[in-house]
Amino acid sequence: MKAAVETADLTKDFTVGFWRPRPFRALDRLTLDVPAGEVFGLLGPNGAGKTTTLKLLMQLVYPSSGSARLLGRPVGDIDARRRIGYLPENPYFYDYLTADELLGYFARLFGHRGPGCAKRVGDALDQVGIGSERRLQLRKFSKGMLQRVGLAQALLNDPELVVLDEPMSGLDPIGRHEVRALILRLRDEGRTVLFSSHILSDAETLCRRVAILAGGRLVAGGRLSDLTELRIRGWEVVVGDVDEAAVRRFETVATRIDAIAERRFTLELPLGHPPERVLGDLLALGGHLLSVQPLRETLEDYFVEHVRAATGSRFAGRDRPAVNADSSTSGRKVG
Amino acid sequence: MSTARRAGLRLAPAWILIVASFAAAVGAQVWRDRQTPPPAPIERVLYLPDGGVVERLALSFDAILADVYWVRTVLHFGGVRRGDGPKRYELLQPLLDITTTLDPLFTVAYRYGAIFLAEPPPGGPGRPDDAIALLEKGLEASPGRWRYLQDIGFVKYWWKRDYEGAARAFKQASDVEGAPWWLSSMAAVTLAEGGDRRASRRLWLSLLENTEDDWLKQDAVRRLRQLDALDQIDQLEEIVAQYLATSPPTPYTWEDLIAAGALRAIPRDPDGVPYYLGPYTGRVDLGDESRLQPLPVEPLEARPMPST
Amino acid sequence: MGTIGLIAVNAFRESVRDKVLYNLVFFATLLIVASYLVGQLTAGQEAKIIKDLGLAAASLFGLLIAVFIGIGLVSKEVERRSVYSVLTKPMSRTQFLLGKYAGLALTLVVNLTVMTIAIYGVLAWMEWSSPANIKAAWEAPALDPALLKAILLIAMELLLVVAVALLFSTFSSPLLAASLTLGLYIVGHFNADLRNLEAVVDAPVLAAVAKGVYYALPNLAPFDVKAQVVHAQPVTLTYVTLTSLYAVGYIGALLALASVIFGRRDFK
Repeated sequence: MKAAVETADLTKDFTVGFWRPRPFRALDRLTLDVPAGEVFGLLGPNGAGKTTTLKLLMQLVYPSSGSARLLGRPVGDIDARRRIGYLPENPYFYDYLTADELLGYFARLFGHRGPGCAKRVGDALDQVGIGSERRLQLRKFSKGMLQRVGLAQALLNDPELVVLDEPMSGLDPIGRHEVRALILRLRDEGRTVLFSSHILSDAETLCRRVAILAGGRLVAGGRLSDLTELRIRGWEVVVGDVDEAAVRRFETVATRIDAIAERRFTLELPLGHPPERVLGDLLALGGHLLSVQPLRETLEDYFVEHVRAATGSRFAGRDRPAVNADSSTSGRKVG
Repeated sequence: MSTARRAGLRLAPAWILIVASFAAAVGAQVWRDRQTPPPAPIERVLYLPDGGVVERLALSFDAILADVYWVRTVLHFGGVRRGDGPKRYELLQPLLDITTTLDPLFTVAYRYGAIFLAEPPPGGPGRPDDAIALLEKGLEASPGRWRYLQDIGFVKYWWKRDYEGAARAFKQASDVEGAPWWLSSMAAVTLAEGGDRRASRRLWLSLLENTEDDWLKQDAVRRLRQLDALDQIDQLEEIVAQYLATSPPTPYTWEDLIAAGALRAIPRDPDGVPYYLGPYTGRVDLGDESRLQPLPVEPLEARPMPST
Repeated sequence: MGTIGLIAVNAFRESVRDKVLYNLVFFATLLIVASYLVGQLTAGQEAKIIKDLGLAAASLFGLLIAVFIGIGLVSKEVERRSVYSVLTKPMSRTQFLLGKYAGLALTLVVNLTVMTIAIYGVLAWMEWSSPANIKAAWEAPALDPALLKAILLIAMELLLVVAVALLFSTFSSPLLAASLTLGLYIVGHFNADLRNLEAVVDAPVLAAVAKGVYYALPNLAPFDVKAQVVHAQPVTLTYVTLTSLYAVGYIGALLALASVIFGRRDFK
């Protein structure tokens, strides 16, 4: 399967400081592949280089070294751009235009004309849930609505590849839900979706693959299932119909006990203490088992562990703390 | 009380403050103005003293600035003439200098400006040399403009009584390509009969017939009327001299002369203003309100002798 | 319509929505009021003053539009980051710049056209209502077609200023770009003095440098033929053509330079 996005040692240095300019490495030799037809998450804390990566791909910023290809063509190829949709971070559009007019302008820039063009615009706005507000000037739009307009303009040209920079930012929970549904729909239609986020739960529900950036470097990546199946770190047991006093007896073994309702408790048990033993005692006290489930290491745990190790000074000449050997993948292909 | 009205009432102190502050400010200004004299009228300020400086600063807006300064010139000249204050035209020459530096092709500024400058007091500053200098400046910018040379000739003839200089100017004018034929005859007349009233009349008539400019036409008409007035005064002085020979009693009045049969009616100048008769000297002159004032002074040797 | 055309129309639409064209209302009012007052104050020079005022105001308003919209063309967009969603559409950065330039050029041309009609309108009224003896003293007829030469050169000068504003706008903030553009406009009008510095100054090296600067910086004074046209002095077609060619060449160089600078810029 051909890759929708490929980068090879993509690097970006900026110069920071006016009086004593110093080079600052925003992205360090990023090499990755995004296979076509998948949802790919580019994750990392703020300042990790996610937006820089996406801007390099959209040629808003030029690489200091390395290269990248989109849909098999070098970055900046104008024909390729006809098949790509892009949503910038915190988008801002010409606020004196209405949503209709803005999308009409963009549609014409893509080369569409006439009544087909108007239909396209209407469909895109429908898809993101903008109704009659489309005739209002954009300066009257809330942040969430602007985000939706941004999504609409990214889908206008029926793109094979959709690049989204922080697509969930500024949205309320309903909005986030809708965007998640939209991304899955795009995937089902066979499109490739590459998005960046610092919110891990979104990645967990949507992505097949992820790449984790920290400090300008790729610190981990691969299939989500590979990364997180790793370790079970314990169990969670929910019981009902027991008194607090009875539950308190397990304080020595449970790492955590929460009361979630009247006579209903959640117990977290560590790895070394299998739930079967607790269950027997609980049932003997007259309680009922409501649920048992393993606690897997979440992406967040994985994330925190690797990112903390990687983040250090990115100015040339200062020592970088050593990255954890078995999870360091800088320079290694991820795919 | 509705919410809107309540909101409005809440703003009432703000409005009171606005009105009160403004009233206090205006009051302070009125009080101060009573104490200190007002600054010099805007007239006296040129803003910028030098034509060259103004031109540099004007970038490409010099033509419209020239118009602004021209308007100021006209207002200054007219304002001083008609006003009650002292007849001082100090700003006239600098304003004209700035106007013509900003727009060296501004014909009207040169021609009317020269007339303004040459006009003797109280109607003008009486500076024929400045007038000639202004016209020469115009010639530098437009060497082909024979009208400026003609105007120089007139100033020299009429105000400076420099008949040779005037003739030279007229001749120079007639040498310019495209100049009309009558300029050379003007030169000849001036040289031959300079100062003679008939020659002057011929020159002014020539100007009147050959200029299309309305304002300059009216100026020529005025000069011709002044010459007419001079003729009339001469005639009246003869009549008065004959009357005086009969040793009438003083004070002399026109009515006495009419009663004596020397005149049919009170004599009036070409503008219709009655002449003045000196009650004890018998001297005839223009009436005080006459717009033909001041009459040109003629050199004694050129005045035609009253016929006896 | 090609990409450049689309961007141009959008830029034009932006200036219309910015209510830029309301300056025309002010302009027309100014001319009409002036034409009433002017007769009283100027001893028969009404036509000249209306022409001077009309041309000067057209030039000044056009300059303000050229500078303040010109700088916003690029730097405002970059500052507000609306440029991200546009440059990533299928177009080159050069097409973007040229489209913006064309849009502002269109705004200026429309503005000047309306002003020309207003000036000729007032002059026609003056021609119709002035008595023959006053008209005889006018150096040039009220409805003088030579005014169009002056307006054409005003247009070329403004197009040059817009190109300068666009260039500065590709790499500096709006405020700095405005100051630099206005500064260059002023310098451009004094530029002619540099040409003859050798006549005034003894140092030949300084004079050579001055001459070089004269050719390098835009020389704007020759675009001003307002005084000649109003005074019915001849302005030859050759002069107009050569001056316009200078403008076209200089604009080409400026746009190419802007394209290079903008083309390599990182949008952080």
